[in-house]
Amino acid sequence: MNTHTIDTGTPVISADNYDTAAFYAHADAITTVTNTTAPDAVALPSEDASTAELLAAAREAGRRAVPAPLAETALVARPLLRRVGLPVPAGPLSYAIAPELTIRYARPAASAVGSAGSSGVDDTLLVTGTLRRVPWARAATTVVVLATAPSGPVLFTLTPDQAHLTPGGNLAEEPRDDLRLATLEIPAPRVRRISPELLDEARLRAALARSALIAGAAERCVDLTVAHTTARTQFGRPLSGFQAVKQEEARLIEETALVRTAVQAAAPLDPGSPAAHVAVAAAKTQASASAAEIARIAHQLHGAIGITQLNPLHLATTRLWSWRDEDGDETYWARRLARPLTATTLWPTLTTTP
Amino acid sequence: MSPSTLSPTSTLSPIAFPDVALPESARRLRAEVRAFVDEERARGTVLGRPDSWLAGWDPGFSRRLAERGWVGMALPAEYGGAGRGFLERYVVIEELLAAGAPVSAHWVSDRQAGPSILQHGTEEQRRFFLPRIAAGQCFFSIGMSEKNSGSDLASVATRAERTADGWQLTGTKMWTGGAHVNDYAIVLARTEDAEDKHAGLSQFIVDLRAPGVRIEPIRLMSGEHRFNAVHLEGIDVPDGLLLGRRGGGWKQVTGELAFERSGPERYLSTFPLLVSLLRELEQHSTTAEQLTQTGVLTARLHSVRQLSLGVAAALDAGHSPDTQAALVKDLGTRLEGTLVDTVRSILPTPSDPHATPGSHPELLAFALLHSPGYTLRGGTNEILRGIITRGLERH
Repeated sequence: MNTHTIDTGTPVISADNYDTAAFYAHADAITTVTNTTAPDAVALPSEDASTAELLAAAREAGRRAVPAPLAETALVARPLLRRVGLPVPAGPLSYAIAPELTIRYARPAASAVGSAGSSGVDDTLLVTGTLRRVPWARAATTVVVLATAPSGPVLFTLTPDQAHLTPGGNLAEEPRDDLRLATLEIPAPRVRRISPELLDEARLRAALARSALIAGAAERCVDLTVAHTTARTQFGRPLSGFQAVKQEEARLIEETALVRTAVQAAAPLDPGSPAAHVAVAAAKTQASASAAEIARIAHQLHGAIGITQLNPLHLATTRLWSWRDEDGDETYWARRLARPLTATTLWPTLTTTP
Repeated sequence: MSPSTLSPTSTLSPIAFPDVALPESARRLRAEVRAFVDEERARGTVLGRPDSWLAGWDPGFSRRLAERGWVGMALPAEYGGAGRGFLERYVVIEELLAAGAPVSAHWVSDRQAGPSILQHGTEEQRRFFLPRIAAGQCFFSIGMSEKNSGSDLASVATRAERTADGWQLTGTKMWTGGAHVNDYAIVLARTEDAEDKHAGLSQFIVDLRAPGVRIEPIRLMSGEHRFNAVHLEGIDVPDGLLLGRRGGGWKQVTGELAFERSGPERYLSTFPLLVSLLRELEQHSTTAEQLTQTGVLTARLHSVRQLSLGVAAALDAGHSPDTQAALVKDLGTRLEGTLVDTVRSILPTPSDPHATPGSHPELLAFALLHSPGYTLRGGTNEILRGIITRGLERH
């Protein structure tokens, strides 16, 4: 009996009649999850929660396949807004990091050198282009965008209703919507000039949040697989009694522990520090690289039931397959991790933390 | 709530790994060890070779390390140790292994014999052995496995018969690393026949130079002489060298497995080969694919190290993380082998045992010839995986 407890205030969706489309179409579920105080839901942590607490919540959200941008809101959008001194809106938030946009200053400075709009009398922007595959855009009250203006990197906010939204989804049918901006004016109070370092810090925050979600989904694979191999009997004994099953199941457990620990190691670090760069790049590389093996073993040990909607395993594995690509896949982060390494810096790099 | 806090319904709860924070003293200690390693490298003793905890035998190095207080460093000061914490010891040994320093002479006395004698030994045994261990002047081997007793250790056939004032040991121990160069071995022998085969086993400290101890080399496929068959031909062992409780051998042996299985030697054995690879890559321009493979390997090393440190923190806190230790050993030792294959793939190099010692092709050959052993020693990985699944199902 697998009950897919996700939120409260809306009916609990059981695995027996799991309907992906209905699940995500339920807009109320999304706001409920982020505001609920019910005991079995993953509540959005308070704004003064530590990174470690936020990561724990994100992992739990990943484990329960929470249909809301909990990690995106708590670990990425909110901290970035706070970092630049912009107000933090209520409700679910989302983000777009380094999208390809055409940005001009709305009120060009007369004295500017270069083309019109390369600098402004104030920071009001005119933005054209498409934010691609924005997580949960349709449900977000605000989207935080970090992009490059003629003056350098900027952070600004918009509301999804200011854009033309084209719905999309990932393998788990989590919303990944395109937002088309047609010469959208962003008033100066919603714009902040930021350092290139902060732009990169945003990438790290997003990658760590995604890694925590992956760790949670991996853990769900272990939960479901151990339960299944213990309960399911073939040839007169539980699957877990077969050596061949034990060998695979142990590897699943190991790989999951590995991902979880890599995420855990990054938790206490200041996201702007060099140590965090190493720990986060390693965590996302490991999380993304392990996703394939974790999903493979979980499915193999579930047998046919696992590839159907009769069983909740797909809630975890489809997320693993999507999340490993999102916010930088293992190739991207592995290269970033390896680029500065030399024979003399490798070991000091590995021992930066703890 | 911290990230290590698992929801109570999580299947993984029984094998949670604690958060790791090294004591502030560890940072200073790490710098001191690095300075020491640099000095030793300059004098030509630290050669950056793989598997240096098995193959790097240099008693002079061990003694200089001991002078710094870094052998038996977790032993109490009253027995000649440094009274440092288990996590501080971890820092020292991971630095030495990463550098490929020759630590095999004192390895077993530092990792197992010292702690074991401290925990189970008589006061007389502690006073005799521990200061010598901590001084780097007394080296131990492990006498557990036998020809017909590998993973199934409780089936050992070596017998200890009671004599007037001690014991007479008869049997043959196999794979006894360093028995031809070390001073003592801790031997597991059957003292009583029992229905339960885990009962009736006892541990003895055996003088490897005693009459009746015959040591026969078992050469590795590389031709190296590291292991031996140790024939105990009815040797007399006085009562004073029974280690721990008569009949308590099984509990004593299994009690130290978490220490033996989770340390940095379970994932760093081939690390010096990766350092060698990066040195080679510095001569060329690096391709994107080479960077990717190097990064994936580095991420895994980082992640396994965090797990290994997690077990160390649990041990330091007095827990018995046996399941977690088995998990670290399987992941870590598989990584040691993967590292060799990946290094070969990143920079295709024919391995050559006759190339200049320390050159990349020679180190590759050395690591490769040692590689099948990584997932065998300290408990065959297939057996460990059974421990891991059992660890979750029990709850």
